[in-house]
Amino acid sequence: MELDAAQNPNPDPPISAYYQTRAEHHAVVSSDWLAHAAAAAASFPDAGAGADAAPPPSPGSNGGGVIEEFNFWRRKPEAAEAVAAIMALAAVIRSSRATTMMELEIELKKASDKLKSWDATSISLSAACDLFMRFVTRTSHLEHEKFDAAKSRLIERGEKFGEISLKARKTIAMLSQDFISDGCTMLVHGYSRVVLEILKLAASNRKLFRVLCTEGRPDRTGLRMSNELAALGIPVKVLIDSAVAYSMDEVDMVFVGADGVVESGGIINMMGTYQIALVANSMNKPVYVAAESYKFARLYPLDQKDMTPAHRPIDFGVPIPAGVEVETSARDYTPPQYLTLLLTDLGVLTPSVVSDELIQLYL
Amino acid sequence: MPDVQPLVSEFVLKLKRRKVEGSHAVARQTAELLRSVVSQHRMGSTNQAAALADAIRSVGEQLISANPIELAVGNIVRRVLHIIKEEDISSTAVGIEGLSVTVDSDDEYDSGNDDHPTLSAAVLASHARNALRAPSLQTLLDDIPVSTALSRSASSTGDSDGKTGDKSLKTRKLKHDVIAAIGDLIEEIDTCYDQISEQAVELIHQNEVILTLGRSRTVKEFLYAAKEKKRSFRVFVAEGSPRYQGHVLAKELVEKGVQTTVITDSAIFAMISRVNMVIVGAHAIMANGGVIAPVGMNMVALAAQKHAVPFVVVAGSHKLCPLYPHNPEVLLNELKSPSDLLDFGEFSNCMNFSTQDGTPLLNVVNPTFDYVPPKLVSLFVTDTGGHSPSYMYRLISEYYSADDLVVQRKSTS
Repeated sequence: MELDAAQNPNPDPPISAYYQTRAEHHAVVSSDWLAHAAAAAASFPDAGAGADAAPPPSPGSNGGGVIEEFNFWRRKPEAAEAVAAIMALAAVIRSSRATTMMELEIELKKASDKLKSWDATSISLSAACDLFMRFVTRTSHLEHEKFDAAKSRLIERGEKFGEISLKARKTIAMLSQDFISDGCTMLVHGYSRVVLEILKLAASNRKLFRVLCTEGRPDRTGLRMSNELAALGIPVKVLIDSAVAYSMDEVDMVFVGADGVVESGGIINMMGTYQIALVANSMNKPVYVAAESYKFARLYPLDQKDMTPAHRPIDFGVPIPAGVEVETSARDYTPPQYLTLLLTDLGVLTPSVVSDELIQLYL
Repeated sequence: MPDVQPLVSEFVLKLKRRKVEGSHAVARQTAELLRSVVSQHRMGSTNQAAALADAIRSVGEQLISANPIELAVGNIVRRVLHIIKEEDISSTAVGIEGLSVTVDSDDEYDSGNDDHPTLSAAVLASHARNALRAPSLQTLLDDIPVSTALSRSASSTGDSDGKTGDKSLKTRKLKHDVIAAIGDLIEEIDTCYDQISEQAVELIHQNEVILTLGRSRTVKEFLYAAKEKKRSFRVFVAEGSPRYQGHVLAKELVEKGVQTTVITDSAIFAMISRVNMVIVGAHAIMANGGVIAPVGMNMVALAAQKHAVPFVVVAGSHKLCPLYPHNPEVLLNELKSPSDLLDFGEFSNCMNFSTQDGTPLLNVVNPTFDYVPPKLVSLFVTDTGGHSPSYMYRLISEYYSADDLVVQRKSTS
């Protein structure tokens, strides 16, 4: 089922590769799926092996190589999308034959554009590419550094980014501990590794709290999340998405992650987040967003349809008659006025800080 | 530090017994005490800034625990810690840049630093300056272990000079700089009223009606300044029970010729529709833009929001606290004596402790403070100018460093 590396998979209707990956990582493993996978593996003996093999050798400065490298890193369930992107770009630097910083920057720009156009729906991918490009540009302007030394430093920092990302999650978890008090009830939407880290730390600090988890159709993220939380011994209750308003008065706070944080301070996240934020706001419940700082993107959506469309196929279980349309968008935009605080590795921020940080980075 | 301990203990006792109250007085006395601590501190030869910061931290810990509700104490302690860091880094950065001028002629510098042979002096200096700022997207991918790089270069600066005379000069310079900076801080605390009052004439226009609650010195100076500039305005003063400081403010305003009306706190909702602007003081401003203010302020803010009246908070920058308010109504509040509300004599028969579980049937609750959430505040007027609540985080990153949020002694030896 995996894709031609150089082209966007499933171009018609345009299914978002980003959301497909997330579904693969976090979807519930059912017995039919297992049977399916076993059958597929049997007929394509090298398909499964390819995913676990060593990273494909990037031959020279071949543009296609960056996509393969990116796909390799993207498969790993613990690594964020941004980490995969930066690892791929670091690999481009390593295999580059440029002799000056300008040449290297041009190669990197080409690779980064290729990555971005391969999946136009993933915000953290393009934000991470931009962040790395800015880092390279800034490094190249520092005087007295020899080219080889600068190049090896860039590669080293790029490869360390995976650690930086994990460290960011731990920082966010530590900062969020004060917001969770004993006896509180929180509502969680979507499967966010950052939010899970926060709850893990709170559980290990012996805090007593309860979690309400939305089902998260169509990816059933809620079921996966509730599995993880039950394993930690946290009392969990699963709600269908429509039961959020019904249960909102027993909730003390809402925790969500983010696929991307936009310049206005709003977030782009799994479909349903906007709805929950609206309900929480009308009932005066705080909404806390846990997001790493490399997800800050230079986008400014003015309404829901203002983003690149990202679709996920929805399986209703029964066939839908032809001629009936289905809304398959995978994500929505939550404006900043419904968010209380952003918990990031740069500290606990109000939504107005995002544009400040972005300006500092880009000017 | 035996010389300073009696001073510290005396101040701690004053804080514990609430003999010194009010952010201005507390902030000023804390700053003066810390200045004495710095000047009496014996500076070692290496790692001076860290040792000095540690001394400040141990004193700060004692002061903060004496009265945790008085946030101004913690603010000043953190300001001083930030000052120490700033002075240290700026003097070291200057030292490094001075060194880089001689680098080209001095080959042994390059071979000396084996771990980071490629890091030039310019890079180190710029990283040193970045270390002082809050973490940001720009520095996310960087990983210079600045402290070790700096201390190595600092020691190599010392070695290349090779004179102990220079070292003691540097020692005294740091202490001198820190004391001068704390002196500036004290002056800033003292002159905050003037700087805030300068903005009065832009905010208060002709024939306006202003509402205030209780008595805040900052608000008083603010209104005086507007009166000096010949603005004609009227003031509604809500008395601010149970201490009724509003009565005192009303008298002071009348002495300056301001038309004043005294109302009860319960009448605020009734009168708010006739008011153009609400101007109040604060006890502390928290990092999210929320305000800890004398009790009753939340009610005024809600009334103002209901009738779309701008709610302006005037406060000096020593009241700006880098902490987040978690459950402020309980954790950042203090219950004062019930005798303010009810006379002991009259109600002594209600205070009957011989009931079954030993608690009397009549409870009297007298909280000191109220929390106003940031969305109810229209404008903060501080000595640095007027800001919206969502901007307060910027001031925090200018005045405080991120690792000083918890003031605790770091070294164990």
